[in-house]
Amino acid sequence: MTDPAIAVRGLTKIFPIPFHRQSIVAVRDLDLRVEPGEVYGLLGPNGSGKSTTLKIILGLVSPTRGCTEIFGRDSRLVKSREAVGFLPENPYFYKYLSGEETLRFFGRLCGLGGAGLKNRMDELLELVGLTNARKRRLGTYSKGMLQRIGLAQALIHDPRLVVLDEPTAGVDPAGSREIRDLILDLKRRGITVLLSSHLLAQAQEICDHVGILADGVLVREGRLQELIAIENQTELVIANASSDLVEEIESLIKRSNAELVARRRSTTTLEKLFLDATTERPRS
Amino acid sequence: MIRLVLVLLTLFAFGAIKLPVEQVIFAQHRQENLRGVEFNLDLREKLGQLGFIAALSGFRAIVADGLFIQAHVAWERTEWGRVLLLFRQITTLQPRAILFWDMAAWHMAWNASVAAMNDRTQPRLALRVKAQREYFALGKDFLERGIKNNPDRPHLYETLATVYKEKYKDHEHASALFAEASALPGAQSFDRRFSAYELSYCEGREREAYDRLRQLYNEGEKERLPTLITRLKFLENKLGIPQDQRIPDRAP
Amino acid sequence: MSDQTVVVARHRTFSFSRLFAITTNTLTELTRLKVFYVLLVFALVLIGSSIFMAQFSFQQEFQILKDVSLGAMSIFTSLLAIVAAARLIPQDVEDRTIYTILAKPVPRLEYLLGKIAGVLLLLAISTLVMSAVFLFVLYAREQSVIQMTLRQMSGAPREQVDDALRAIRSSALNIDLFPGIIIIYLKASLLAALTLFVSTFATTNIFTIVVMAFIYFIGHLQATAREYWLHEHSSGWITRVFLAIVALLFPDLQAFNLVDDIVAGAAISIALFLKTAVLGIFYTAIYTLLAAFVFYGKEL
Repeated sequence: MTDPAIAVRGLTKIFPIPFHRQSIVAVRDLDLRVEPGEVYGLLGPNGSGKSTTLKIILGLVSPTRGCTEIFGRDSRLVKSREAVGFLPENPYFYKYLSGEETLRFFGRLCGLGGAGLKNRMDELLELVGLTNARKRRLGTYSKGMLQRIGLAQALIHDPRLVVLDEPTAGVDPAGSREIRDLILDLKRRGITVLLSSHLLAQAQEICDHVGILADGVLVREGRLQELIAIENQTELVIANASSDLVEEIESLIKRSNAELVARRRSTTTLEKLFLDATTERPRS
Repeated sequence: MIRLVLVLLTLFAFGAIKLPVEQVIFAQHRQENLRGVEFNLDLREKLGQLGFIAALSGFRAIVADGLFIQAHVAWERTEWGRVLLLFRQITTLQPRAILFWDMAAWHMAWNASVAAMNDRTQPRLALRVKAQREYFALGKDFLERGIKNNPDRPHLYETLATVYKEKYKDHEHASALFAEASALPGAQSFDRRFSAYELSYCEGREREAYDRLRQLYNEGEKERLPTLITRLKFLENKLGIPQDQRIPDRAP
Repeated sequence: MSDQTVVVARHRTFSFSRLFAITTNTLTELTRLKVFYVLLVFALVLIGSSIFMAQFSFQQEFQILKDVSLGAMSIFTSLLAIVAAARLIPQDVEDRTIYTILAKPVPRLEYLLGKIAGVLLLLAISTLVMSAVFLFVLYAREQSVIQMTLRQMSGAPREQVDDALRAIRSSALNIDLFPGIIIIYLKASLLAALTLFVSTFATTNIFTIVVMAFIYFIGHLQATAREYWLHEHSSGWITRVFLAIVALLFPDLQAFNLVDDIVAGAAISIALFLKTAVLGIFYTAIYTLLAAFVFYGKEL
């Protein structure tokens, strides 16, 4: 059997408060398993321990108890970070570097160099759509652009796993859509993604697997479709139905002892409306 | 917590290792006459709060320069008491700076003493002479302390010799100091000559002076300066040196 | 992404190219600091301004020029070392760049070494720039004094002219200034490493700088405390414990203030220079390692 992309076993993290008797339990007895190739969403309200868990997985914070592994390597080993790319929440990079220089810097930290690094940089700038802004200082980048260069930076050494902490926080809908598409693209390439989010609608669109954290405890865990399916209900979406057809279906339902729970007109999402309105303006 | 204890232990352990090294360096500083400055209450009183802190934090050279410029202004206003006070501070801060000892002595023994002698507010000659001699002594004192701090450099010996020669008319001391200067590295070429000249004025030591002047004369043309020849001829006459051993008269 | 495969170099426990990447980045970061230029310009102006002291004799002028220049270099390097090193880690934590860097396969020791190397490089460059300006000013003044003396003494005998020129040259540049400048640099390096160490457990930038200011003054008094502790046995045990702690924990910064005496014309022996240099390097290394040790246990 292959190693899971991430394995977390019995993880507890307690932060002592200086000069106080009590301490904060950020994560309690957490078990987590992310299989290769899936998109895993770690959900929960602010302060539920999502970021702490991610930081422990990346070896930035040491666990009080328990252990975490990335592809079978203990997170505390520097070597474990070869296979993982990380995009922190609200990343700030060095403002005085250009997009290109930022990627070169992080590439060199991963032991890349020469023509290999050059090609990789071109490729990633193209991927995240920053080719035109590559020479600009990061100080002039918008929030969405920063998030995208952050993603490119996380991918520089072609990792098998990408960890994203609130990747769409504070980004406008268009930018957030682009990031979502990028994540789906990663999934198609077989890259495992672990992301944390409190924006549920988005998580629902992209995650295969979710875990819900509340006060440091994993309260729900499983495949997204299984978790949110309502066992005894079925939805039909019908186009161009005449009122006769609808009445016939309703009477059929009554006769078969089932119950019609809701009947409504389908709507588009506000997001889709917003995107259509802002991106498909008539050309003048 | 364990880490903190370990860090402290390491710091103390390293402290125990570096302590002897620092002491060796400190001893060597003393030996090479560096760090002649003692940071104590005496210095604190002389410098005042600000100067003391500045001097403490490694800027005593600059503090000394600042005081030196003040002393220069005080000299232009002929405030001799202030000049003396400032130079005491300056030389305390920078005991290795020959220049400051030299300037201090010069102001006292030459400038202030002359000013005291010409002091029109003091009608009594005896008091003016007394004041003048006090300034001579102050200059001499600066030079003696300067030499104590810089025994390896000839310049202050030369200056002190000049004080003895010109101010005290004490040729014996002057000769001895020029001789001491001449033995040190970096001595001026005239030190040996001057030592011998001074000796030639001392009653009872004419023979010794003659020998030394003659030796210099024999060293070649570059030592045969007019004063040397004059002093040598004076001694030849005084000692009654036989004609055939005397130096030839310079060709007219 | 294309299908082109990226050749990722095999991970090494220690890599100079990674270290170099962090060092150069730190150097770039520091050269963007306004405070760096303010201090540098201030130091250069101070060195340059010593030219205008015509009312003094050349010995006095050279002495003041050297005192002020080397003093400015000493102040500048020490201040820069503390200010620059104090913000290295806190700034990266605040900007979260530290997360991105340490989430890469970069050992924490390497990160820290890269940071301190960046500061040391910056200090070296500033020291070189200031030395160059200082030596140029000194040389220019020396030449003009020599020209003037030659004009004034045009009729004097050869020997006297030589003596005069020798006096000018010896009061201008002496070779001992160079070890003095190296010691100034080493003192700044020591302070940078110590600041980095303090910053690993400090919570704010200001805290680090205030602590360093105290250490700076206590460090200059350490020798006095040490000598008193080792040679005076009359004082009470509380005093003695206090003195022992000062002597053991703090570096003897007076040992690195050779330049005051060198400017005054004192020669220092090679043995003394080497011992001081080794002590400085040793201090820098120990403080860097301690910083790394604390940093390894740090929760980010």
